[in-house]
Amino acid sequence: MEEDKSKSENPLKVNRRHFFSQLSVGIGSLALGSLLIPDLFKGGKGPVASQPLGIPHFAPKAKRVIYLFQSGAPSQLESFDYKPTLVKRMGEDLPESIRNGQRLTGMTAGQDKFPLMPSAAKFSQHGKSGAWVSEFFPHIAKIADEICIVKSMQTEAINHDPAITFFQTGSQQSGRPSMGSWMSYGLGSENQNLPSFVVLTSRGKGNSQGLYSKLWSSGFLDSKHQGVLLRSGKDPVLYLNDPEGLSRSDKRHLLDHVSSLNKIHHVETGDDEIESRIAQYEMAYRMQMSVPDVMDIKKEPESIIKLYGEESQVPGTYAANCLQARRLAENGVRFIQLYHQGWDQHGNLPNEMAGQAKDVDQASAALILDLKQRGMLEDTLVIWGGEFGRTNYCQGNFDPKNYGRDHHPRAFSIWMAGGGIKPGITYGETDEFGYNIVKNPVHINDFHATIMNNLGLDHEQLIYKYQGRRFRLTDVAGNVVNDILT
Amino acid sequence: MAQKNNSPWVDYVIFGLTIFLIFCLIFESFIDLPGLVAWMGRWHPLILHFPIVLLLMAAALGLFNRIVPNVLLTIATLSALVTAITGFFLGTESAPKGDLIFWHQWMGAGVAFLAVVWYWLSNNHLQQTYLVKGIQVVLILLVGLTGHYGGMITHGEDFLAWPKSKKLEKIPENPLIYEHIVHRVLDNSCIGCHNPNKTKGELLMTSIDELIKGGESGPALVIGDPVNSELIRRLHLPVEDEEHMPPEGKKPLSDNEIQILERWIALGASDTLKLSDLDNSEPLVGLVKKMMDSGTTNSWAKLPKVMDSTLQNLASDYITIKRISSNSQALSISVFLPPDYNSKNITDLKRISNNIIELDLSGIPIGEKEMELVAMCKNLEWLEVDRTPITDAEFIKLSGLAQLRVLKAYETGITDKSVAVLKDLKGLKSLYVWETQISGDGFAQLKEALPNLQLDYGIDPELKTEFIQKDSIVDSIQ
Repeated sequence: MEEDKSKSENPLKVNRRHFFSQLSVGIGSLALGSLLIPDLFKGGKGPVASQPLGIPHFAPKAKRVIYLFQSGAPSQLESFDYKPTLVKRMGEDLPESIRNGQRLTGMTAGQDKFPLMPSAAKFSQHGKSGAWVSEFFPHIAKIADEICIVKSMQTEAINHDPAITFFQTGSQQSGRPSMGSWMSYGLGSENQNLPSFVVLTSRGKGNSQGLYSKLWSSGFLDSKHQGVLLRSGKDPVLYLNDPEGLSRSDKRHLLDHVSSLNKIHHVETGDDEIESRIAQYEMAYRMQMSVPDVMDIKKEPESIIKLYGEESQVPGTYAANCLQARRLAENGVRFIQLYHQGWDQHGNLPNEMAGQAKDVDQASAALILDLKQRGMLEDTLVIWGGEFGRTNYCQGNFDPKNYGRDHHPRAFSIWMAGGGIKPGITYGETDEFGYNIVKNPVHINDFHATIMNNLGLDHEQLIYKYQGRRFRLTDVAGNVVNDILT
Repeated sequence: MAQKNNSPWVDYVIFGLTIFLIFCLIFESFIDLPGLVAWMGRWHPLILHFPIVLLLMAAALGLFNRIVPNVLLTIATLSALVTAITGFFLGTESAPKGDLIFWHQWMGAGVAFLAVVWYWLSNNHLQQTYLVKGIQVVLILLVGLTGHYGGMITHGEDFLAWPKSKKLEKIPENPLIYEHIVHRVLDNSCIGCHNPNKTKGELLMTSIDELIKGGESGPALVIGDPVNSELIRRLHLPVEDEEHMPPEGKKPLSDNEIQILERWIALGASDTLKLSDLDNSEPLVGLVKKMMDSGTTNSWAKLPKVMDSTLQNLASDYITIKRISSNSQALSISVFLPPDYNSKNITDLKRISNNIIELDLSGIPIGEKEMELVAMCKNLEWLEVDRTPITDAEFIKLSGLAQLRVLKAYETGITDKSVAVLKDLKGLKSLYVWETQISGDGFAQLKEALPNLQLDYGIDPELKTEFIQKDSIVDSIQ
């Protein structure tokens, strides 16, 4: 009823469907149509909205996610997918039976040969689980028994932008809400004084690809679910701090007046985004207090700083972001998205990747240990991985000391820890060339479904209807990978 | 009063059918029905409605001292006999007969015989005797009971049961995969139609042997081969498919349940397999645990109801109160430090203390008052009091929180005195107590008292030094 009232008062709230449903009252044929198709003139909420929002559908295993995104796509062959066959068959052309029609990027499609290139990094087995980890990641190797390595990830995209967009939004084309926004939409905020979706970026020396704010956009969801980029340095959130000389009580008065004006405008137009805006001003006001507090890593004892590595004292580094991520997680941020750029090794892979690995290795492992001692691995899901894998053949000059690898969507490795994921296992297998998956493939839709499952959400039920179509993060696919759940 | 007698032919027919019914019942085990006769049994569900209505009508008229028209009684008696005979035919299709069919058959026959007796008495002008009244009362009761049993055969035994949430037994810690898991799934979704009383498709699903024996469509289960097991094939058919099980309109099995059946068959469909026998990497472990977890959420079903409006009143910018899952009365509460903290913020939560399952008070300057509130949360399973100023004096309030599963108390002032409190928390699974005053001796005592406890006293010192000492540099390449 209230909805009807607000519609009659606010022309903005009448959409095309409401208009037609009003029209149908007088027009017999339309009325008949509505009899035949019960949903035909049902504006707004259908059966879709039956699940209450802001509450998990079932008891969750994880309350929050820390996603350590390695932007640019780290090579699985120099990290977690050990392939001795490549050493034996080094320099041989990739057999067509293995490539099997895989499309290539413009960067290697012109190559006459696809010579197999083994890893420059040595591999060894670690932990009770005997997981293979390369020497590029000595610290991650030490926590092998805490993580679940998935060696059978696969995607459909072959270039960075669609691939990273696919990972973040469930679609290769931009415009859909980011994972973090979906989680914020589905689970609500844990701490009203901080955004529920926070983004932290850092950049290594390796060849990098761009990052765009569309990756953490809320798409068609309410803009309050958008990811908030926290910058390093004096102003973590741009324009959050007041100009000098403005006291907090003056600010309060200002906000109260602006808010009353906005409310008048809302009554006139009925635009829901105005309410969002009022709420955001209020949150920003509280964030003026909460953000500096969370971002102040001076409160951390030296042993913790050292655990993450000396670099964690340098704002804007991956290590500092990892430490920051833990602090944000402690303070109830639902989805903390890190990006570390520079993993796109088309050439000079051994050198560049060693450098990239050095940036992230210790801090990633330290984050796991730190979360574990705080009991936070019990309800925090950590994910480490890039947007696709890299080819098993060499791009450019064939030089075992200085080679490159092109993009490879068919198989790559990521790892996850905590939050209802089985520790100390390796899941999925690729063939001896590391090119195709031979056991337990995990598609990105499955990956999303699994994460949502651990957060207590049924990926088939978290739906948002927009422009007449029902959207899910997993769209029309996705199966929970039960084998890796505790 | 007296009615004109029927032609003797009607008497002969009734007499003949009665003899035939008695013959059938006596020589039941020797009878092998020809197909056409068996087919006549299929008319039983149609015909049975006539004697129910007609007999009840006739008996009611008689009991109210009205004339029972002879033609009514005649047709009622005839239809009762025919119904009993067709019912007998139908019953022979499902051998062995279960309890339900047994009782239904004998009571049905009883109805027919009583009707015949009443018909005979009535024809001999004994309409108004007490004997007839008695017969009428018994008939009404018997018709009702027979109908009820018949209904249970077609619609399932609990069709008319008082609507109540089915009380499920708790799955034990280390369940037998068949008895506690697989059988439970089958019992929930399949056995309703595949039991000795109602055996659709001639398939019984009450034991592994019966599953292997199968029904009309052959064996339902092929040991070690889920792909070729009829049971699994039908679960995977599209819901619209005629052969999909459970049939359209009934609640289908969840993906988790289907996968449990598949893995159990693949592993040999054993009835002695226990959860602890399985390797941790075996997918069935996760599937079974998932099912057991949904069992624990059932234990929250007994929590008192709490209104959304109550939650809204108690919540603030610094206290987040959430239901753990939708439609659940179990609450998870996180408290963040407001600029003007007052213990009242937390003690106000006592209104909903019984519903609090998870409570996060990390980093809040809590004291005795707040810990008293904690002590009231009898159903608490997850408590975070790390980085707080509490000491042994406040910690003692935790004794009696029998449900506590996870406790975070690192960076607090507790000492060995609190070990006694911890030892009594028998349900405790994980405990985080680094940077406290608890000594190595205290930990040893704790480990002894609670062998299953995951005790975390910080990062392994050796590992920590490796991390702290030097940053790793990969030299091999450069």
